[in-house]
Amino acid sequence: MRAVQAGFAKYFPDKKAILINSDGGSLDGTHEIVEKTVIDDFQPLLIDQRQSILSKISVPYHGIPGKGSAFRTIFQIAKELGVKACAVVDSDLRSITPEWIDLLIRPVLDKGFDFVTPYYLRHKYDGTITNSIVYPVTRALYGKQIRQPIGGDFGFSGKLAEFYLEKDVWGSDVARFGIDIWMTTTAVANDFKVCQSFLGAKIHAAKDPSSDLSAMLTQVVSSLFMLMEEYKDKWKDVKQTAPVPIFGFQFSVGLEPLHVNIEKMISMFGLGIADLSELLKDILSSQSMKELVEVASADSFHFSDDLWVHVIYDYAIACHRKIMNVDHILKTLTPLYLGKVASLVTEMADSNADEVEERLEALCLAFEKYKPYLIDNWD
Amino acid sequence: MMNNLFIEPFQKFLVKVTGFLPHLLISLILIMLGLLVAWLLKRVVTRISQLLSIDRLSQKLGLSQILEKSRISESLSGLIGSSVYWIVLLAFVIMGLDALKLPAVEGLMTEFWLYLPNVITAGVIVIAGYLLGNFLGRAALIASVNAGFAVSGLVGKFVKFTVFIMAASMALELLGIGKDTVLIAFAIVLGGVVLALSIAFGLGGKDAAKEYMEKMLKEKTDEDDIQHI
Repeated sequence: MRAVQAGFAKYFPDKKAILINSDGGSLDGTHEIVEKTVIDDFQPLLIDQRQSILSKISVPYHGIPGKGSAFRTIFQIAKELGVKACAVVDSDLRSITPEWIDLLIRPVLDKGFDFVTPYYLRHKYDGTITNSIVYPVTRALYGKQIRQPIGGDFGFSGKLAEFYLEKDVWGSDVARFGIDIWMTTTAVANDFKVCQSFLGAKIHAAKDPSSDLSAMLTQVVSSLFMLMEEYKDKWKDVKQTAPVPIFGFQFSVGLEPLHVNIEKMISMFGLGIADLSELLKDILSSQSMKELVEVASADSFHFSDDLWVHVIYDYAIACHRKIMNVDHILKTLTPLYLGKVASLVTEMADSNADEVEERLEALCLAFEKYKPYLIDNWD
Repeated sequence: MMNNLFIEPFQKFLVKVTGFLPHLLISLILIMLGLLVAWLLKRVVTRISQLLSIDRLSQKLGLSQILEKSRISESLSGLIGSSVYWIVLLAFVIMGLDALKLPAVEGLMTEFWLYLPNVITAGVIVIAGYLLGNFLGRAALIASVNAGFAVSGLVGKFVKFTVFIMAASMALELLGIGKDTVLIAFAIVLGGVVLALSIAFGLGGKDAAKEYMEKMLKEKTDEDDIQHI
């Protein structure tokens, strides 16, 4: 709250700004915090040009519980107020600074962009679903090299907010989960001007211990595949990818050691290959299945990029053809995903940030290389 | 004397035969008509099933695979058509038998029509039980694998067969076969399996159970620090 308030005061002192807390009826005191948090003295922040007061609206959203419904309320308010630019940030952020507001809004106000995606500094092992699936697939499909398509913190124009509102998705899973990838894909697939802003580190509140990897992976991947259905005519025509402009001062930091239980991941992979083989045979091509069995039985564990790309494309095709319950299809991906993560973590053990990015670039190029396989098997 | 001994019974026999022949004729006509109607309905029902994409649904639900495994070459729409054929034909045959006015087969038609809904309902229950068993068994298998249980395959099969056996016992009860016997047998088998597993796990596998629990507890404290999103 204080960071947002300081951000508006410091970077947009002459603009009218409204802070909206779109709340699903939380009982953790968010509403009271929003109401009571104010910065009385701006001098320590070296801000003395404060000309307008930041208004605050704390509203409960209606409809299906979820982040998507909360965003819909924000889009509606933006439309009613006729705003020029909006920024949305997650409420559990611990690393947000006033600069984030500037970096998410200024590209829209001054440079004419419609959608600003975040570019974070993250630990090399973090964001593995983004790194191994969402980023490479989105990039290969829609041709834009957006590094954090599901970052969660975005900037967008009033025009784009109105466009989002017109879409008939607010009774679907987009309202519950998947709003992040939906916003990014909708902006890119409908040719809105997109850029990225370097926001530095992203640190959340401590993660919910009950959060289930399998459910999380299923939600993200199902959203990604659902959008493939909607924009099939768009992504089939995309032949190459292009970089997306990036704003902000980029820097790097040292990496804290992070504990990863690789043996457990490999053991989960082996268990999946052994016990889910009957289901996997229906989902995957015979070649992919054969190679997976070889990976599971090899002395030295290595899950190649080429195999991973084929696995993901096979899953997309299986979901498209609905060969069985889609939830079941996607939940069988968890052990395979853990296998790929274990392989990547092993490979990147001694890599620095730049080397990790180079490694991920190679993975992205593999997704682009085998895109014709996806197109050929789609229909 | 000759008249009493031979001619009179023969005359009576002739009267009975001549009285029976029209019934036989009607019966034969009914069976012939049944063959025709059953054939026609089979064609119509099969075609409608095909138009309703029943075969694609069967593929999706996994019924086609079961048929393949059971070496049944016919599609589901073909099977539905065949079922209609045999039910209609059987109905006409019973009508034909009823038309003979034989004391032994009298009332057969009424009983057939009263029993038929039970047969159809039982069939539906068995199919639904099979599908539900497959679905829940698959869900249990995937959830177990994702939770890292070493006995995932067993969990999936247990759920699948429990649901199917329950459905089968309901169907048998509906058909009046073994009624209480089926239920008691089912309860004994299920109770026995649970007891056997408990004893096996508690006594035979106490060391394995201890090791497993220790491993589970160790893994709880050995979680990754990775943020996947």
